[in-house]
Amino acid sequence: MQGGSTGIGYGLKYQVKPRKTSTRPYKILQIRNPNSVSISYFQARCIADVKADTDHTSFITGTLSLKEENEVHLIRLSSGGTELVCEGLFSHPNEIWDLASCPFDQRIFSTVFSSGDSYGAAVWQMPELYGQLNSPQLERVASLDAHSSKIKSILWWPSGKHDKLISIDEQNLFLWSLDSSRKTAQVKSQESAGMLHYLSGGAWDPHDVNSVASTCESSIQFWDLRTMMKTNSIEHAHVRNIDFDSKKKYMLVTAEDEFGIHIWDLRMPKAPVLELPGHAH
Amino acid sequence: MGADDEVPMDDKAKRMRDLLSSFYSPDPSSAPPPTANASSRYATLDTINTTSFDPNQYMNLLVQKSNLEGLLQRHVEMAAEIKNLDTDLQMLVYENYNKFISATDTIKRMKTNIVGMEANMEQLLEKIMSVQSRSDGVNTSLFEKREHVEKLHRTRNLLRKVQFIFDLPTRLGKCIKAEAYADAVRFYTGAMPIFKAYGDSSFQDCKRASEDAVAIIIKNLQGKVFSDSESIQARAEAVMLLKQLDFPVDTLRAKLLENLEQFLLDLHLESTETTKGQVNPDEPPKQGNLPDSAPATAHGASTREFVEAVRAYRAIFPDSEKQLIKLVQDLVTKHFEAIQQHIKKPLSSADLVRMLLAWVIVARHVMVLARAAVLTVVNGSGIMWTDVLLMDEVLPEAALVDFALEAARITVKQFVASAFSCHLLKVSDALTNAEARKKDEVEEYSLQVALEASKRAVIQGSMDVLLGFRQLLDEDLGLLMKLRDLIIDWVQEGFQDFFRKLDNHFLLLSGKKCRATQGQVSEERIQGEKILAGLVLVMAQLSVFVEQNAIPRITEARFHLNEIAASFSGGGVRGYEYGPAFVPAEICRTFRAAGEKFLHLYINMRTQKISVLLRKRFTTPNWVKHKEPREVHMFVDLFLQELEVVATEVKQILPQGLQRKHHRTDSNGSTTSSRSNPLRDDKIGRSNTHRARSQLLETHLAKLFKQKMEIFTKVEHTQESVLTTVIKLCLKSLQEFVRLQTFNRSGFQQIQLDIQFLRTTLKETADDEAAVDFLLDEVIVAAAERCLDPIPLEQPILDKLIQAKLAKT
Repeated sequence: MQGGSTGIGYGLKYQVKPRKTSTRPYKILQIRNPNSVSISYFQARCIADVKADTDHTSFITGTLSLKEENEVHLIRLSSGGTELVCEGLFSHPNEIWDLASCPFDQRIFSTVFSSGDSYGAAVWQMPELYGQLNSPQLERVASLDAHSSKIKSILWWPSGKHDKLISIDEQNLFLWSLDSSRKTAQVKSQESAGMLHYLSGGAWDPHDVNSVASTCESSIQFWDLRTMMKTNSIEHAHVRNIDFDSKKKYMLVTAEDEFGIHIWDLRMPKAPVLELPGHAH
Repeated sequence: MGADDEVPMDDKAKRMRDLLSSFYSPDPSSAPPPTANASSRYATLDTINTTSFDPNQYMNLLVQKSNLEGLLQRHVEMAAEIKNLDTDLQMLVYENYNKFISATDTIKRMKTNIVGMEANMEQLLEKIMSVQSRSDGVNTSLFEKREHVEKLHRTRNLLRKVQFIFDLPTRLGKCIKAEAYADAVRFYTGAMPIFKAYGDSSFQDCKRASEDAVAIIIKNLQGKVFSDSESIQARAEAVMLLKQLDFPVDTLRAKLLENLEQFLLDLHLESTETTKGQVNPDEPPKQGNLPDSAPATAHGASTREFVEAVRAYRAIFPDSEKQLIKLVQDLVTKHFEAIQQHIKKPLSSADLVRMLLAWVIVARHVMVLARAAVLTVVNGSGIMWTDVLLMDEVLPEAALVDFALEAARITVKQFVASAFSCHLLKVSDALTNAEARKKDEVEEYSLQVALEASKRAVIQGSMDVLLGFRQLLDEDLGLLMKLRDLIIDWVQEGFQDFFRKLDNHFLLLSGKKCRATQGQVSEERIQGEKILAGLVLVMAQLSVFVEQNAIPRITEARFHLNEIAASFSGGGVRGYEYGPAFVPAEICRTFRAAGEKFLHLYINMRTQKISVLLRKRFTTPNWVKHKEPREVHMFVDLFLQELEVVATEVKQILPQGLQRKHHRTDSNGSTTSSRSNPLRDDKIGRSNTHRARSQLLETHLAKLFKQKMEIFTKVEHTQESVLTTVIKLCLKSLQEFVRLQTFNRSGFQQIQLDIQFLRTTLKETADDEAAVDFLLDEVIVAAAERCLDPIPLEQPILDKLIQAKLAKT
């Protein structure tokens, strides 16, 4: 009964959310605007679309609750397109700060979690759903525990079946090789962003799989994964989040700390191509 | 019967009569008068003297007409007449006989005279023969000597010539001294054939010497040709002489042409110098008039000189019109270039106008010259050439004039553009100068100064430009008359462009500096951000000023200009065309947008700076292991300091807003009343049932969204509005940073304390109290949500700590 009622609650909220986000021109807000996503009595900081699920429009979210049990929810847009249905509800041990879905297996996803002092990141696999909603345990595929500072986000290989993962903590960038069948993850390479930079997130370039953009306090840095060297940077950008245009090469969109969206062309990193003001936080 | 008698007598008489009449015939009229007079009374009796005289008829008539007495008298008369005639006849015969006799006498004498003549003649012949033989002898004897004399004579002539040639160098020298070049040339050309024939052998030295002299002559002549002081005729003569000397005149011409070009260059130098001399804008204004007018006249004078030179050239080389035209074209282009260069220099518009005027004068000179040149060509060749060719000859002139006009148009256009760019430069200079000055001396009202300076620059510059153009238009110059309408259009366009560019420039200034400031690259920019933010603010206000003040004024001035233009062009038709050239409304719109944009940029920059501060504050400590709060954290001080800076900047630039009270009532009153509730509600909610809690949270969330709309109201160009917006944004950022952390109880309490302190202090600065209060509450709510153990500090402790902090400051 409780599940049912919460289901209705979600339905209401979810119906609002995607619409609201879909009117926005760029995906990142839709995914990870920390303010706009807060669902029902659970607070959530993250939502991710399940790319591998080609049959449905699905999302997964993770709750951010300091005192309660945390959960990962699998949400699916009903076939009519009018209602969001909670398809799965899995308990998660910690507060989820970031979450990303595997691009080739809809049941695999990664979370970044922390509680108090502790932090961690892991790749999970949802158990098969047999019509039951009540929080079955997630299956931990691998834990990415090589980090020495607070983990910020995990990036999957942009598309297709590939074993590469990137995890970003405050100071480092890790490239992982994931073996989902053997349930191991190995650090392939690692690079420090430098003492002065506190990384806060990043995006993997879908057009150039060797290039990753990461956001620092006041700049965007671009890394070449083959050499793990910094190739380029956009300075003086107060960026909260970042994403690449999935269609056009070189195009990049950032959400500013205070307000506004900037669109950048990587070939002209001096100034944004377009500024979309109008958002105040 | 009477007739029969008279027949023999008749023959004799007739013969007699014929003889007589043939003798007297030269005077037939003188003979009859005596008879005529007598017989005149009887008309028919006159026939006695005619050739057709019939004696019988005469007798009958006489008998019939006259009586006896008359017949008797007639008879007497007749007899007397016959007597007279007979004596006359006798006398004639005698006279003839005498003549005959004398003639025979003469013949007789001649016969006797001729007899001695033969001997004399023979004698004469003999003498003549002897004379001839003698003269022949003399001739033969003198012949040899004569030949010798002739030979000698020839030799003498030759010797004289040789002498002449030998003397040639000295003579040439003398001529050079006397400057009798014409004689010298005549001598030399006379001696030329000899030099040609024998120059290599016998007269080598002589030839060399004279050639040297001629070289000198040539040099002198060349000098003469090139010297401007000589009269044109003398120079033309010199050229003729040079031509006679087989001197390559073409090269000479080329050289002269070069000279002219050189002259042209000099002209440029001169003009640039004159203009350079006037570029000192710091000169005392009293002397301002002098250097202003000087270049124009100097320029005109030098051009006149040039024209003179060209005329001389034309006189000297009558065949080189084409080159001349080219040269003149060259002159025109060079002039334009020079003018363009001048224009590029940052001169005051008045100077530019003067320059332009000077140039226009020059152009007119050139045109006159060109026309004259072409006319001479036409005159010279027109008689012989067909009309078509004539047309061809005339064409270059037309082309030249067109060319001049075209160039003038381009120049004027460029002038307009440069005037405006100059203006733009000045404005931006005013801005950046103010900035630079600020760096040196930290003056309180420097921003205000900058604002005033740039305001002045905008207005003054625009007015100057307008004034300059008005002057330009007032001058009655033919060339400009044609361009007047165009110029006016250009000015309009120029203004439009100017403001557009100004806008762009502002954007650039803000955008570019943005990159420069925050980078660690520029050492100058250490405090750049502060200055820049101020600058952005200045630009924001300046944009507003331009929108509200400058544009109307310029529009007004522009109308004056249009009136002038209309009075000249005499038609209001063009008036309608001005519309698209300069659209004040569009500019106003642009600048309004720009003003808002700059204001936002300013706020953004300020907020970003404070955000960085806040972020540092919240990311650095380990909030989970935070210690008990002992005092208000120092970040609050920094925060307030930054706000203070914003406040001072804003106070300098922006006008004061409306009454504070008005703003206070602006905000939603309900927030104030329900503000403290969420926190409490939340705390209660946690202990309550799940559903109730969720409901509370939902209402809270709903309120959050609703409230958000009201928190960030439209920013106005007032001190309060800007400052409040900055505060609001910072508080919102603060809330976001809080939400990213997890706190223990002490951390939460620390934040509570800090916020409580801010609450009292921000009230003084912020305008929209309610919204600020609400945001501060939000921060505490967020902190409580992220706290593992949210137990707030007791109010007394809170008060005590705040009091301690207040006392410290």
